[in-house]
Amino acid sequence: MSELLETGMAPAGDFAPARSLWRRIEPAVLGAGSIVVLLLLWELLPQLVTLQAGTKMLFTTPSKIAVTLWNMIVTGKLWAPLSVSGTGFVVGLLLSVLVGLPLGVVLGRSRTLNAMFDPFVTAFNATPRLVFLPLLMLWFGLGVTAKVVIVFIGALFPILINTYEGVRNADRGLINVVRSFGGSEWDVARLVVVPNALPYIVAGLRLAIGRAILGVVVAEFFGAEDGLGVIMVQAASRYQVDVVFAGLIVFAVLSLIMTGLVKLLENRLGGWRPQRTGGE
Amino acid sequence: MQPYIQGRNVNLTFRPPNRGPVRALQNFDIDVNEGEFLSIVGPSGCGKSTFLNVILGLIRPDSGDIRLRGSPISGPSTDRAMVFQDFGLLPWRTVQANVELGLELKGMAADARRKVSQPLIEMIGLAGFEGHFPHELSGGMKQRVGLARALATDPSVLLMDEPFAALDAQTRDLMQVELLRVWQQDKKTVLFVTHQIEEAIYLSDRVMVMTKRPGRAKKIFPIDLPRPRDYEMRVTPEFNELKLQIWNELKDEITV
Ligand SMILES: Nc1ncnc2c1ncn2[C@@H]1O[C@H](COP(=O)(O)OP(=O)(O)OP(=O)(O)O)[C@@H](O)[C@H]1O
Ligand SMILES: [Mg+2]
Repeated sequence: MSELLETGMAPAGDFAPARSLWRRIEPAVLGAGSIVVLLLLWELLPQLVTLQAGTKMLFTTPSKIAVTLWNMIVTGKLWAPLSVSGTGFVVGLLLSVLVGLPLGVVLGRSRTLNAMFDPFVTAFNATPRLVFLPLLMLWFGLGVTAKVVIVFIGALFPILINTYEGVRNADRGLINVVRSFGGSEWDVARLVVVPNALPYIVAGLRLAIGRAILGVVVAEFFGAEDGLGVIMVQAASRYQVDVVFAGLIVFAVLSLIMTGLVKLLENRLGGWRPQRTGGE
Repeated sequence: MQPYIQGRNVNLTFRPPNRGPVRALQNFDIDVNEGEFLSIVGPSGCGKSTFLNVILGLIRPDSGDIRLRGSPISGPSTDRAMVFQDFGLLPWRTVQANVELGLELKGMAADARRKVSQPLIEMIGLAGFEGHFPHELSGGMKQRVGLARALATDPSVLLMDEPFAALDAQTRDLMQVELLRVWQQDKKTVLFVTHQIEEAIYLSDRVMVMTKRPGRAKKIFPIDLPRPRDYEMRVTPEFNELKLQIWNELKDEITV
């Protein structure tokens, strides 16, 4: 994925020649193939080399992980912690969008407000989020509230800062067009500023999702009573390596699904832009 | 009777941050009558677009007095519309949605908008392209969308900033005829900026020549050719005489 796609700037893909079937599926085949080979090697490793007893405790194979994950799913053991983690993630992320997007637009449009808020944004954003953790746990406890707040703080700034940048980048000429037809500041935001900032906002959303998942994991590793991360930490203390891996896979899948949703959103909203590739 | 549009001693200086100030208009005077077709020619960068923007209400002059129907222009209003030099189409809107922009901002319902936009889209020769986005259009097509958008709100003052510059010669001729038809039928006041002296004479009641920057009115030529005007008129001796006079006035201002 190139940087160009992040900002929605398209290369001159309109004129890309039609590619043959193999050229088109080659990356997918090679990608999937290398994963399969890697998993096979991993699976066969215990047969190929003899592991010492101590090491064996720390080792697991893909097939064991798959079975463990499957059992967690069918016995329902996965759902309770997953829903706790998921709630923290979804609520925190939603809040960060609800606050970050309008705030980014307002700060991008108003010189005065920007001058007032900029020191806070810069200072807050420069501070590693982790240092807030003890304080947040003290204030909000070990429940879902603390998790939501941590996710919110992590996801807010990518959205806020990207929206702000996108808004600042709006075409003055187009703003004047809307004004000339009697448009208000609200119309300017709705018709020019936000559509123009969308590629930036989507890129911010992508970053925010990563930060949000990180927030959930960190919160649950370092102090929470419930959640997928808690299960992983507990399993690790009991040397249940396959459970740890199962949790890791669930987090990875969650993250992939969210990224896919953003991609979908991007395609829906970006229909007016020149096509990126000749094939699709 | 006072003129429809009146400018007195208008001064305007741009002060871009971190750069020196640029005087765009200096002691600019203008009188435009109601229903008049006035063309403006002048060297590049002399302040023509700036002047149209002042009348549109987007730029406020530093000093001087500019009035429409006797009251000072304090901001944009739906009785004026601009065909922008750089088209100004919203890239995320289709041709139809771009044409309907002004109507939408007036709060008109979708089907009523459609009734207005459809004939205009046909007039500019873009029927079948309603659902296309600006990046799918040629420069000339985009320019015509900008024209249709300005006409859609049926403004009494039409400000046109080199509206046909991106068109090929044949389309330009057709659009000139359409513009004259709309102007006569709806009794609009038109301010028309162009670099083509011939186009200015052919369309206008009067042609104003501007000085180089900082711009002001240098001389105004009344065009007393009979209307309706036709293509052949462009080869008459009277027409060529006017062309020569205007060119002589303009060429002293052009420094290369
Ligand atoms: N927003 C702005 N900021 C700073 N300077 C500006 C701005 N707009 C215009 N100018 C300057 O004002 C002068 C007049 O510009 P304007 O666009 O009115 O010229 P013009 O007569 O329309 O030229 P052209 O025929 O090339 O379109 C130019 O020197 C230009 O550099
Ligand atoms: Mg201009």
